[in-house]
Amino acid sequence: MEKKLVRIKAAALVIVLLATGIAGYLFREQRVYKEPVVVSEQAVVKKLSDYSDIVKGTVNDCNIYIYDSGVPGGTMMIMGSNHPEEPTGVMVCNMFAENLKVTQGKIIIVTRVNTSGSLTTRNGEAYPRYFTQKTAWGEKKWRMGDRIGSPLDSWPDPEVYIHYPSGLNLAYMDIRNTNRNWPGKADGLLTERTCYALMEVIKQENVDMTLDLHEAELEYPVENMIVVHEKASDVGAMVSMMLTSQTFDVPLSMDFSPKALHGLTHREVGDYSNAASYLAEVAEPLLDRIRGITDEELLMSGKDRFVMKAGEHGLLYSPIDESGWPIEKRVARHVETARKIMEVNGMVHPDQVIAFEGIPSYEEILANGCGPYYHDPATASADRIFYD
Amino acid sequence: MLVTVNFIITCLYYVIALFFLIAIIRVFVKSKNPQDAILYCLIMIPFVLRILRLK
Repeated sequence: MEKKLVRIKAAALVIVLLATGIAGYLFREQRVYKEPVVVSEQAVVKKLSDYSDIVKGTVNDCNIYIYDSGVPGGTMMIMGSNHPEEPTGVMVCNMFAENLKVTQGKIIIVTRVNTSGSLTTRNGEAYPRYFTQKTAWGEKKWRMGDRIGSPLDSWPDPEVYIHYPSGLNLAYMDIRNTNRNWPGKADGLLTERTCYALMEVIKQENVDMTLDLHEAELEYPVENMIVVHEKASDVGAMVSMMLTSQTFDVPLSMDFSPKALHGLTHREVGDYSNAASYLAEVAEPLLDRIRGITDEELLMSGKDRFVMKAGEHGLLYSPIDESGWPIEKRVARHVETARKIMEVNGMVHPDQVIAFEGIPSYEEILANGCGPYYHDPATASADRIFYD
Repeated sequence: MLVTVNFIITCLYYVIALFFLIAIIRVFVKSKNPQDAILYCLIMIPFVLRILRLK
């Protein structure tokens, strides 16, 4: 009996250690994977810690890609991967970072706002660890992260997260959510410090507009929408009307940033800096609770029969049919929204004109896909390659 | 100052995780019931992954 017990214990220990080893290897592989970005010739690349050293040495000390024409005009900052489980943001930012040539004004790109969140995955959700985009030279690969930062970089969470400076009580895990920590706190936890440092970028670079790129489940009412600070209501309304009437098949609605909801970019950036803040949402069926198999195919194609069935019963805030919400369409909508905000803002504020070349149009992305707009790091000169 | 306090608290949490891992290993070794032993083995996984900073 004693020998049998020892054998069972030994077998259980070996199996569990093996499983732990395999899981640990896979987690580690995702955590150390670096995404190459082949920047366009105009880019000047800084680190977030160049603006505030409170993030120096942390995983959230991300790259800040700056494209300055040298011609007076406006400044826009585009942010991706505030929520790393919403991959369109980082894809759009990479597309800008790799192709942008600004001819008037300045554009700043932050590809990975919450780098920590992109280094982990969501427990129990079976998310893919990576997603890829086919190109003529091979596959471009990104990390598919969680909504919030990794506990390896910020642990423990408080029992209740009290937002600074508003005092609003939020869910405990939102202390690791970069879109609940603005305007940040210089001596806070990592995510609070990250938002503080990003506010320093906005202030020191005299940013006029920020655009924060997101995706949302179709069950969520803030969908296919731009949420704007009251400073940006005129431009936001015109952008919504123009894109809905002239470009998009599914309307882009507009809503105001709620004044009592704190910590989000569209509220706090506008309140605590001179910038007008925008947040754009597009449909991502992978995030829906009622989805089927959760894999890279669903992430990129946006096709899911369970979500579609919910749509047939009128349970969604966004239309969906057999063609789903493919990544090209989601990327194209965000690219066009960014372009239109800059265009309309330049009309409303003539001293803030931004002109640029190199970024494909909505129609071009739909026709060609995203692949042609990413460059091969294997053939690019080393001084143009940066890693996120 | 607060950043240092947060860092110390994080270190203490790793110590707590290590304490519980040792406690689980101890009861695993002492256990006479095979089903309990397997359960203790499974419970070890998140503690090992966190202490090794893998998850």
